[in-house]
Order: sequence, then structure tokens, then C-alpha cells
Amino acid sequence: MAKKQKIAAVGKDTDMETAYRIERFLAAEARVLDEERYDDWLAMLDESIVYKMPIPMNTYRRNRPGKSSICETMIYDENFEKLKQRAAREDTGMVWLNDPATHHIRTVTNIESFCTDEASVYDVRSKFTLLRSRRDKDHISHTGTRKDLLRDTGDGLKLVSRTVFLPERVIVDKNLNMFF
Amino acid sequence: MSKFDYNKLIDNDAALQSRSIFWEPEIYQDELKQIFNRCWLFLGHDSQIPEAGDFLRTYMGEDDVIVVRGEDGEVRAFLNACTHRGNKVCHAEWGKTKAFTCSYHGWAYDNMGELAAVPLEEAIYDNLDRSKLGLVPVARVQNYKGMIFGTFAEEGPDLVEYLGDMAYYLDVVLDASPEGMELIGTPFRVEIPGNWKLPVENAIGDGYHVAWAHAGAMRVVGTIGQGRGESVLGIGKDNTGFDDSGQMQVAIPPHTVLSTLDGQSGYALYDNPGPCIEYLEQVRPSVVERLGDVRGNQLLGSETHMGVFPNLQIIQGLNLLRVIHPKGPGAFEVATYSMADKNTPDEVKDIIVKHVGQTFGTAGILEGDDGDFTEAITHSPNGYATRQMKGWLGMAQGRKMDWEGPGEASPGIVNELCQREFYAQWQRTMLAESVNEILPKKLAKKESANG
Ligand code: FES
Ligand SMILES: [Fe+2]
Repeated sequence: MAKKQKIAAVGKDTDMETAYRIERFLAAEARVLDEERYDDWLAMLDESIVYKMPIPMNTYRRNRPGKSSICETMIYDENFEKLKQRAAREDTGMVWLNDPATHHIRTVTNIESFCTDEASVYDVRSKFTLLRSRRDKDHISHTGTRKDLLRDTGDGLKLVSRTVFLPERVIVDKNLNMFF
Repeated sequence: MSKFDYNKLIDNDAALQSRSIFWEPEIYQDELKQIFNRCWLFLGHDSQIPEAGDFLRTYMGEDDVIVVRGEDGEVRAFLNACTHRGNKVCHAEWGKTKAFTCSYHGWAYDNMGELAAVPLEEAIYDNLDRSKLGLVPVARVQNYKGMIFGTFAEEGPDLVEYLGDMAYYLDVVLDASPEGMELIGTPFRVEIPGNWKLPVENAIGDGYHVAWAHAGAMRVVGTIGQGRGESVLGIGKDNTGFDDSGQMQVAIPPHTVLSTLDGQSGYALYDNPGPCIEYLEQVRPSVVERLGDVRGNQLLGSETHMGVFPNLQIIQGLNLLRVIHPKGPGAFEVATYSMADKNTPDEVKDIIVKHVGQTFGTAGILEGDDGDFTEAITHSPNGYATRQMKGWLGMAQGRKMDWEGPGEASPGIVNELCQREFYAQWQRTMLAESVNEILPKKLAKKESANG
């Protein structure tokens, strides 16, 4: 039996109003992406954004990596420019796999908002399900967790960093070309 | 004797392939036996398992295989199957261990495959001979310049004979420096609902689809020195314009190579090729010295796709290595690794690894475009009438060009020579009555360019 633990403290909870604004921000972000409004999405990002998705490592719990060249690798390892490039690709009108349109439905839940050492930066944890539906019956849903840093700016909240964790080792999908 | 006439399913002269070869479950079973149980298959690279006890798991056909460097330093491969009742003895993808302990009844095998311990052995068995119950080894495991291959065939060609003149090309990646190449990171692994042959021949030879199928990506990726140039790798961005001068596809049966031969365009799709090209030019003189003028100046740095039959693709420029594992007739897993010469500066390695992820990783902006085609070509033959159709690979058939390296070359990377060769070799392997017939009859050896 695991020892009784206190709920792990990520940080001090933000105040309620901030927590509310963060939830609204994440919901709006999901909607903007579902609606393929990539310029609006890019405007929600801080230009110093770090956007990552590591591959889960199926090693034994007591793995001793030694000198092997095998190491953690990223499915997404993007900066603002690369995210802009991905968005620009979607907007070329020449991504045949999205014509007829692919439908995405993003659900964001279990949102927790914490304070960090920096007064205007919040550590936000959430879970998501991203349903992608295309063609006749090409329905796929990915569920994962996100660890975000959001900054309060004069221009509203901005996403400063996002680490997406998808637990599937082998992705059973024709691609992961979608924003999480 | 197979019930299929492989002479008819592939018509090499007319360059036609019956679509049933992507769909028919019994053909797939023949493939597992004729191809994946006989050919040399890529298992891994020394850089992944440098020390005693290092292991990784991969597939040979659909067989789950452990590749491990034993306490004695030797690399072996075994079926991942307990000799007691058949449970897997290893569920980790890679790591370091002295023993593989079965999770069912606890039999433990050392990292040389011997059955080392059986719980309660003395008390419960009167007839157990541990020396006969080691893990089932892959018949032969051999190494070519760091690349570990295995075959289930007890006899037949050795690895060096199997690779043949392909070594001339592989060396551009494997032997550009005394230290050689390394694989970096853990592979991107994706399972796609298509037949395994399609991603193989697409990667080794389909220069035709690049500008159109990937048109969206092509509009936004970089091209060397031209910002967002109108042409990529000699192909106009909207599939207009075509320049086959100084590019080639070459057949080195059973293998193939496609290359731009300009010594640089491997970095055409990079946003920041600067440091890569700078490093490339820095090492070029020493590579010319090691490998000669043709390989050092024309092949090094070019976009070069090397197809090692049946399922390995080594792509210089993009700097990735891919293995396609069949998962039934209608699905495959692609495993994609980043690769670089060991001496490559970290800054350049970092650019390469990121670029591989952004183009051909699981979320690569090019990789993702091809899934629909593969799926349609594979699964539309569920329809009886569609299944009677044939695919056609007749492009540039009969066009020849002079080429100093080994093999028969044809001009242009928009060409279907490599794909035709792949199916010719597929047919040869499917018809082979023994493992000694999987290689084509030796052609008169061409005098190769500066060795
Ligand atoms: S099946 Fe492995 S110990 Fe019994
Ligand atoms: Fe492609």
C-alpha cells in the first residue's frame, strides 16, 4: 500500500479570478483551434514559446541507460517560427488530407492553476481529449496531459510554454499534424 | 508451393503490379516466409548498444526480437519468447540488463541467451536440461560498419554479399569518417493502415509525388539559399517545371539509390541549413580523400535515398533511417531514427534531430501527408473489381544515363526505376525456391569509380 500522501503541491493556487480567466483562455484556445483560426491562435502565444511533446519511454522502471545513443526524443520541439510554419501550411489550401475538411473537437478538463516564482506567470496543468474526425469513418481520439506556463501581459494571457504528454508509444494514427 | 503465380502478379516489362499483392492475406503469409524469414534485416546500430548488457527490441517481420550485447561483448539476437510456455521475456523497449526474467513463471535468461535460472528447479524437475532451453537465436547476426543485421536463414549469402555493391553507397553515410555514423534518440513509431511495401517504395523512389502530395509543406519549408524558392530539389513547387540534369535513380539489385548528385541539396528543406552546410564543406576534403571524388563530391551532402531490400531506408540529407515493419497485410509500423556522423558538432546534430522530427517524425509536416494514399491503395481492393486492377510504374522506363558508380542509372529523381526494381526483387524473392536464389544473378561487374 502506498503511503498516505498529501496532494502534491505544484505551487500555491492562483486566486479565483485568475483561475477563471485561465480556464476561459484554455477553452477559447481550444475553440479557436477547432475552428482552424490559426492567426488568432498564434496571437495567443508568447513569441518566446517553447512547445514540446516527448516520446514516452517504455523502459524498465530501474533503467540504467549507460552509454547508449538512445535517449528522449521529441515529437514536437517547436518555437514560435516553427508553429507559424505549421499554421501557414494548414492555410496554403494545398494540404489535401484536410480537404474535405478534417474536424477536430478539443476538450480540456482537470484544469489546475498555480502561482510560480514570477508574479505574472502561472503553472497550469490540464488533461485533454482531441477527437479528429475525417472522411467516412476515420475517427481517432488522443488523450493526454498538458503542462503549460501562461504569462499575464498587458495584452491578456499568453502561452509561454507547453509540454504535451501523450501516453501512446506507438501512435496508431496516420499523423499527428494537429495542435494540442 | 505457393498457390500464387508471382510471375504474373508482377509484369516487369509492362511495369504492372497486381493490386492484390497489397491486400491478399495469403500472399502476406508467403512474404513472411519468403522475405522476412530469409533476407538480411536491419536490427539496430552499435551506437545504440555499445556496452555489455545493452539491449533493444525490434521486429523481424512480425517476430518480436531482442538484440543484446552479451557479457562477452558479442551482439546476438533472440526471439522474444520464453522457451517454457512462450511468454515474452522482455517488455522494455531498450535498456541494460544482466538477465531477462520471464514474468510468467520466472525463468531467467542471461544476456547471452542461456537459461540461467529456473525457480524451484531442483525440487520440481527431474528432466530439465537448462543448456537446451536457451532463448531461440536469430540464425545469423552480422555487422557492417556499425549496422547490425540479422537473418533467420542458416545458410545463403553473408551480409557483405547480400549488400554487394550497395556498400559503395552506404559508405557515404557509414564510412565518411573513421568514427562512422550513429543513430540518435529513440525512434518515432507510427502504425499506419497500409501494406508495408508501399511506404518502402515511396521512400526509396517516388520523387514524383513530393511536389504535389506534399504541396502544402513544400510551400512553407526552406530551400537552400533561396528563402522560399519556387523549386525544391529541381521540381517546381506546384509540380510544374522539371529538371533531371545531374540527378539519378540507380538500381544495384536487390537494392536501389536515388540521388540529386549536387553534393548539397540534402539540406534543401532545412530552415537553417547554414551550420550543416558549413560542417559539410569542412569535412568534404577528408571524405574525398577517404571515398574518392564521386562519393566525396557528388554523393556526400546530396539528397540520397538508399533502399536496402526489403525494408530499410537510409536517407542522407534529411539524415534519417527508417525501418518498415509489416503488421498484417493491411498495416505497417514505421520506425524513424535520426542519424549523423559521430563527429558532427552538437549544434548541427541538434538541427538534424529537430529537422527529422519536423519533417518525417510522428508529427512531421511531410510524413503525415502520405497516410491516405497508402491506406487507399491497400484497402480499396476489398472490392473485388478494384482488386483486379494493376498499378503502373512505367515512368522513364528505358532511359539510361552514364554513371561512374556501380549499378544501372537512369536520369532524374522523378523516375520510377527504384520502385520497379523493388517489385522485381520482391518477385525474385517470392519465387526463390531456396535462400540461395534470393539475389539476382551476378551481372558483369562494372569498373567502379575510384573504389
Ligand atoms: S512462460 Fe516463461 S517462465 Fe513460464
Ligand atoms: Fe511522401
